[in-house]
Amino acid sequence: MSESLPKGGAGRRIAILLARLGVTLALSLGIAIVSGAQTPPPRDLTQFSLEDLMNVQVTSVSRKEQKLAKTGAAIFVITQEDIRRSGATNIPDLLRMVPGVDVARVDHSTWAVSIRGFNDVYANKVLVLIDGRSVYQPVYSGVSWYAQEMPLENIERIEVIRGPGGTVWGANAMNGVINIITESAKDTPGGLITAGGGTDMQADRLVQYGGKIGQSGNYRVYGRYAHLGKSDASTFAQPADSKRTREGGFRSDWNLTPRDLLTVQGEIHRVDGGQTITGVIFQTPPITATFGQPVGDDDGNLLARWTHRYLNGSDISLQAYYDQSRVFANGANNWATIGNIDFQHHLRIASRNDVVWGLSYRANANRFSGNSLVAVNPQRRTDSLYGAFVQDEITLTQTLALTLGSKFEHNDYTGFEIEPSAQLVWAPNPRQTVWLSAAKAIRQPSNIDSGLQTISAVQPLGQGMYGLVTVSGNPNTKVEQLRDYETGYRAQISGRLSLDVMGFLSFYKNLQTTEPQVPYFNPASGYLVIPLVFDYKARAVSYGAEAFATWNITDRWKISPGLSLLNVSVTRDASSQDSAIEHTPGRAPRRSYQVRSFINLGRGFEWDQTLGYTGPLAAGNIPGYIRLDTRLGWHWEEHWDFSLAGQNLLSPRHAEFPDIHFVDHMQDQRSVFGKITWRF
Amino acid sequence: MALLNLTDMARMLSSLLLVGAALQLRAEAPAFDEYQVKAAFLYNFAKFVQWPLGTFANSTDPIGICIVGQNPFGSTLENMVQGKKVGDRTFAVRRLADTQQAGQCQILFIGATESKRTRGLLDAVKSTGVLTVGESDDFTALGGIITLRLEGPRVHIQIALDTAEHAKLKVSSKLLNLAEIAKKQP
Repeated sequence: MSESLPKGGAGRRIAILLARLGVTLALSLGIAIVSGAQTPPPRDLTQFSLEDLMNVQVTSVSRKEQKLAKTGAAIFVITQEDIRRSGATNIPDLLRMVPGVDVARVDHSTWAVSIRGFNDVYANKVLVLIDGRSVYQPVYSGVSWYAQEMPLENIERIEVIRGPGGTVWGANAMNGVINIITESAKDTPGGLITAGGGTDMQADRLVQYGGKIGQSGNYRVYGRYAHLGKSDASTFAQPADSKRTREGGFRSDWNLTPRDLLTVQGEIHRVDGGQTITGVIFQTPPITATFGQPVGDDDGNLLARWTHRYLNGSDISLQAYYDQSRVFANGANNWATIGNIDFQHHLRIASRNDVVWGLSYRANANRFSGNSLVAVNPQRRTDSLYGAFVQDEITLTQTLALTLGSKFEHNDYTGFEIEPSAQLVWAPNPRQTVWLSAAKAIRQPSNIDSGLQTISAVQPLGQGMYGLVTVSGNPNTKVEQLRDYETGYRAQISGRLSLDVMGFLSFYKNLQTTEPQVPYFNPASGYLVIPLVFDYKARAVSYGAEAFATWNITDRWKISPGLSLLNVSVTRDASSQDSAIEHTPGRAPRRSYQVRSFINLGRGFEWDQTLGYTGPLAAGNIPGYIRLDTRLGWHWEEHWDFSLAGQNLLSPRHAEFPDIHFVDHMQDQRSVFGKITWRF
Repeated sequence: MALLNLTDMARMLSSLLLVGAALQLRAEAPAFDEYQVKAAFLYNFAKFVQWPLGTFANSTDPIGICIVGQNPFGSTLENMVQGKKVGDRTFAVRRLADTQQAGQCQILFIGATESKRTRGLLDAVKSTGVLTVGESDDFTALGGIITLRLEGPRVHIQIALDTAEHAKLKVSSKLLNLAEIAKKQP
């Protein structure tokens, strides 16, 4: 089939592409090469001048990072510096830097984000957590990136795990987990005011203040307003893909004792979509439906986490959160209330076993009120999800460790599910790690899977007759299953160069299909109903590789190249009639490459860029594209930061994802964004 | 069938490894450990700070660098200053449990691990002509003279000029130009 790589071509094409990226980067970085062309520094630091010493980059390998380097999984960490220097104004754009993550901007305010294929606006195989709170919506199985707004300044890091994480995180951590972790209030004292504006993100304003509460507490509170403008060209006369965000939140961290840490945090958001148009979805009889009602999202959450460290090195944590949200679109509303509690205990048994085990419980109450096109049956549903996990890292020899674990989880759709995993990590020396892993993960069915009722198309059949295509959920749900095998190699090749390479082979079964049923005539209204019902009749095999490196070429210039290669093939069962499912692989690029470059120009100036190529999508015939983002930043005095960023500079606009939803517009466009930051 | 295309996958991986090998050839220059850099700063301070008259018994008396409590440098600092001279003075690195023997120290390093007793240690050597160097954000506020603070991947210097003057230390303008001057403490 067309999805397989031409024999012998892959290596050459990678080489050509890397060479091409390299040349372009070299040209665009002429200044950097001149300023960076100094002889390698002598090893003896006492020969360094004070100025040189101040510019030396240090590698401060914390214990946590050391642990990350020895993880038997494909992990990428986006740091606060990566965030600041990316020039991005939203989380999906940040995720573009992670090899293996597919990010496509569907319209100005809609993103499709997935890991290793199966991409969609509500991609359902990736779990997303913010400070341990899941933002994967159980009602429709997916993450509404539209609604994920937060001040990027407060993110400490984003850990992206590609590959299954079901053993620790449970259901839906199938193709990966995106873990967004905000900074402790202790690390954000004082005032922070930012004001940004540009052609795309027209206004982004943050006001924040942090301080101490008594001897042991720290807090911060913030308010933010952001206005994302509409796209400048549209499938409609007046684009409706703008959005406004109003949000506020707080975080407080208390060192109750030197061994007890309590965190309490909360947020409220209101995201309003732009609605300047009335669009027509169907105008053919018998159904005419338009949309013109507001689109948006209201949500609020409150989270508390207590961690206690014992003298013997073990620790326990207890976390609880409450999350309430309302998503509204074109007259349909979904209210979701989630209460969740997690307990975790980490301990050493004998000298060889590092054990983590935990218990979790979640209650999720949902109410859906539909419009003329969509309904969910039953309208109200309350589900509970409870489970336990245990994972043991066994030190076999000084250099070899085996981790075994499993999640045991009960959901209201399919009962008990088990998600085991095993990882073997060999670290022959502190600078190199080789790992192998095998895991099983699942995607759990959702309300939509069992109870959706929607009209998806109207087809004129001639002679005044119409066919109505309906899609319905299937109460007889199944879990989608993944068996995944991975291997990776991580090396700190020198003090200046690190490399991470991995390959995976994944087998999926029970993938959801949409099966046509026998059409019937509705005499009352005079049309033919063509029903489609969800079933689980497809399998898939995917394999691929991801790699990235960090290379401090000089003390002032760092580059990070990355690439990902993916090959997915989906096969339906003999009894399935869903031929469309076999086009699923076409929704993710089979290859993408990028190079990020960070230059310290001196005197507080930074010049950063990202040049990336994303391969074509077979679905919707989306051509491959090259993106160039650049940012100039200036840190002035101590309190001020100025930055100017340009995104998509190479072309006025390009498409990134096919129009498979009722979205306004399918292109990402060139944009400029300037920002002033004042800390006091 | 895609599954059988393992040769392609092997080829992809091998080309990745080749890229890695090619990158390796270009990267001889090392980055440094945080405490290697901080040790080099301590050495440099000896060149850019003048101690009050009478600090040293004679012109060859070594400059004492003392580390209180836990030693984050390992043997880095000793190795670095061994055989080095500032003027005619060599260096002597000492480890102290507390400030009782701080009389022989010209530079006193108080690491982040000593945060609980930092104020006490600083009070004990206040105005005695000892250059105190610390790491924590509040070090100068607590009465320390120089903070070596990690900002991102770089080490920054912060100097409390008034505290230094109080201890009768003269800090060279070269060092002052590069350092951030800490706000005066009320």
